[in-house]
Amino acid sequence: MPSQVGQVKANAAKILWRWAPLSILILVVLSIPWIVSPLWIRIVTEVLMWAGLAQSWNIIGGYTGYLCFGHGAFFGLGAYITGITMMHLGWPFGVGLLISGILSALLAMIIGYPTLRLRGAYFAIATWAFGEMVRQVATILDDVTGGPVGLQLHPFLNLPYFYYVMLGVTGLTYLTTYLLLDRARFGYKVLAIREHEEAAEMVGVDTVTIKVKAFALSAFFPGIFGGVFAYWVTYIHPDSVLGAQLTDFMVVMAFLGGIGSLWGPLFGAIVVQLVQRILWLVWGEGTFYLIIIGAAICAVVLFIPNGLIGLMESRFLSPREAVSQLKKTFKW
Amino acid sequence: MILQSNDLVKSFGGVTAINHLSLTVEKGTVFGIIGPNGSGKTTFFNLVTGMYPPTSGTVTFNGRNITGLRPHRIAELGIGRTFQIPAPFTKMTLLENVMVSTFIRASSLKESRKMAWEILELMRLDDKGNTLVANVTLEDRKRLELARALGTHPTLLLLDEVMSGLTPAEVKGAIELIRSLRTEELTIIVVEHIMDVILSLCDRIAVLDYGQKIAEDLPDHIVNNKDVIKAYLGERYSARN
Repeated sequence: MPSQVGQVKANAAKILWRWAPLSILILVVLSIPWIVSPLWIRIVTEVLMWAGLAQSWNIIGGYTGYLCFGHGAFFGLGAYITGITMMHLGWPFGVGLLISGILSALLAMIIGYPTLRLRGAYFAIATWAFGEMVRQVATILDDVTGGPVGLQLHPFLNLPYFYYVMLGVTGLTYLTTYLLLDRARFGYKVLAIREHEEAAEMVGVDTVTIKVKAFALSAFFPGIFGGVFAYWVTYIHPDSVLGAQLTDFMVVMAFLGGIGSLWGPLFGAIVVQLVQRILWLVWGEGTFYLIIIGAAICAVVLFIPNGLIGLMESRFLSPREAVSQLKKTFKW
Repeated sequence: MILQSNDLVKSFGGVTAINHLSLTVEKGTVFGIIGPNGSGKTTFFNLVTGMYPPTSGTVTFNGRNITGLRPHRIAELGIGRTFQIPAPFTKMTLLENVMVSTFIRASSLKESRKMAWEILELMRLDDKGNTLVANVTLEDRKRLELARALGTHPTLLLLDEVMSGLTPAEVKGAIELIRSLRTEELTIIVVEHIMDVILSLCDRIAVLDYGQKIAEDLPDHIVNNKDVIKAYLGERYSARN
C-alpha cells in the first residue's frame, strides 16, 4: 500500500514538474494587467501586437520567401475598416474586426495573384507600391476616412481589456502558424516553394494557389491587429496606421528574431520594442533611436542571417557566407 | 503508346530549340534521347512537363492532350521528372523532400511519411532520411532527384542526365538502380551523354540535332547510323566499336 501511494505521488510530481513551467508562464501572462503599472501594460500590449504582426509578415516573407514591403497596408486597412464600421455604421467591435481580417485577406488575394509571379526585389517593389497606393487612397477618401485629419473613435479606456484582446489575437496568430505551417502539408508545400519553386511545381504542388493562400493568411492577422489598434488608441490617421515604418518594423523584427521560424518574430519583437523603449527613456522624444536600430539591423542581416533563433543554434557567419546565403534565400 | 509529341515546335526569339519534333514512346519501354549540347533534349522535357508551352504542336499522354496544362496537373496525371542540375529543397530533410512529392498520392501526412520512407529505402537513402540536403553528397542529391520524382508515383519517368558528375563506380550503381525500376507499369525516357549507359539501358533511341530528330532506331543500329556518327558520336567512336 505505501509503495502505491508513493508511486502515485511520484507520478503527480512528474506531471507537476513537466507542466509547472508552462502553467506558471500562462499564469504570469494572464495576470500582467493586475500586477504592473499602466505604462507597462501598454508596453506589453504593444510588444504582443508587434510579435503578432512580425509573425504575419514571417508567413509570406520567411516561410514562403517572398519579401513583402507593403504589409503595413493590411494593418491600416483593418484599422480603417474597424473604425468606419463602428463609427459610420454603428456595428460592434468584434464584427468590425472580423470584417477587417476577411477584407485584408481578400485584398491580398487580389494583389497577390498578379504580383506573386514576381521574384525577389521585383515582388518587394510591387508590394511597396501597393502600400503607398493604399495610403493615398485613405488620404483621398476623406468622406469616410477623414483624410489627412484622421478618424476619431469612441474612446474606450480600458487597458486590461485591450491587453487580453491583443493577447488573444497574437495567440491565435502563433497557433495558426504552428498548426498550418509547422504541422501540416500546407507548410511543407510553402517551404518547398521557398526552396525551389519550379521543382515544387514539378512534383505536383499548385504553386500559384499555395502562394496566394499564404499571402492571404499573412494579411488576415494584420487586418485584425489594425482593428484592435484603432479601438485601443481611439484615433487613427494615415501616418499612424499606414506609415512606411509599420512595414519596416515587421520586417526588422522578423529578421532580427529569425525568419522562417515560429519563435523568431516573438524574440525580434521583444528585443526591438524594449530597445526602442530604453532609448526613448534615455533620449526622450525624437527619432534618433531609429539610427541605432537601423545600424543593428544591418549587422544582423549581414552577420546572423538566421536571426537570434539561428544564433542560439549555430555560430556567426563570415561576411562572404552571409552574402551568399542571402542571395540564395531571395534568389537575387 | 504512352507519350506522343506531334509536330512540336518551340522557339525562343530567333532560336528554334525544338523543330517539328514528332516522337512516340511505347508503354513499358526505356526510351533514350541523345544528341549534342543544345540539341533540344532538355527543352523537350520542359515541353512535356508543361514547364513552358510549345510554340506549336501537341503532346499527348495516355491518349489525352496535355499541351498547355500546368506542371502540377501533369505531375498528377503521372509524369515525373528529374532535373539535370539537382534542384532539391535544400533546407529540408531528404524525407521531407520526398514527402512533398507524395502529397498528390497520399491522403494524410502520416501516409505520405510512410510512402516517402519506402521510396528512400528503395533508393538506399533511408539512413539519411532525417539529414538536411545541405549536408549530403552530390551522388545522394542525384539519388534524391530520382526519389523525389518517384514520390509522385509516375507512370512515365523523365530522367535528365542523372549520371552526369558521378564517378564510374557510382554510374554502375545508378544503372542497376534504374534497371530495378523498370516494370510494365513504368515507362522511362532517358537523356544521357554517356553512350554506354544509353546503350545498356534503352530499348529504343532517338537522336536529336538542332531540335530535329535525325534518327530513331534500336541501339545496335543507332551506333552505325551515318548521320548519327557525323552529328554526335564522331568517327572515333564508331571506329572503336
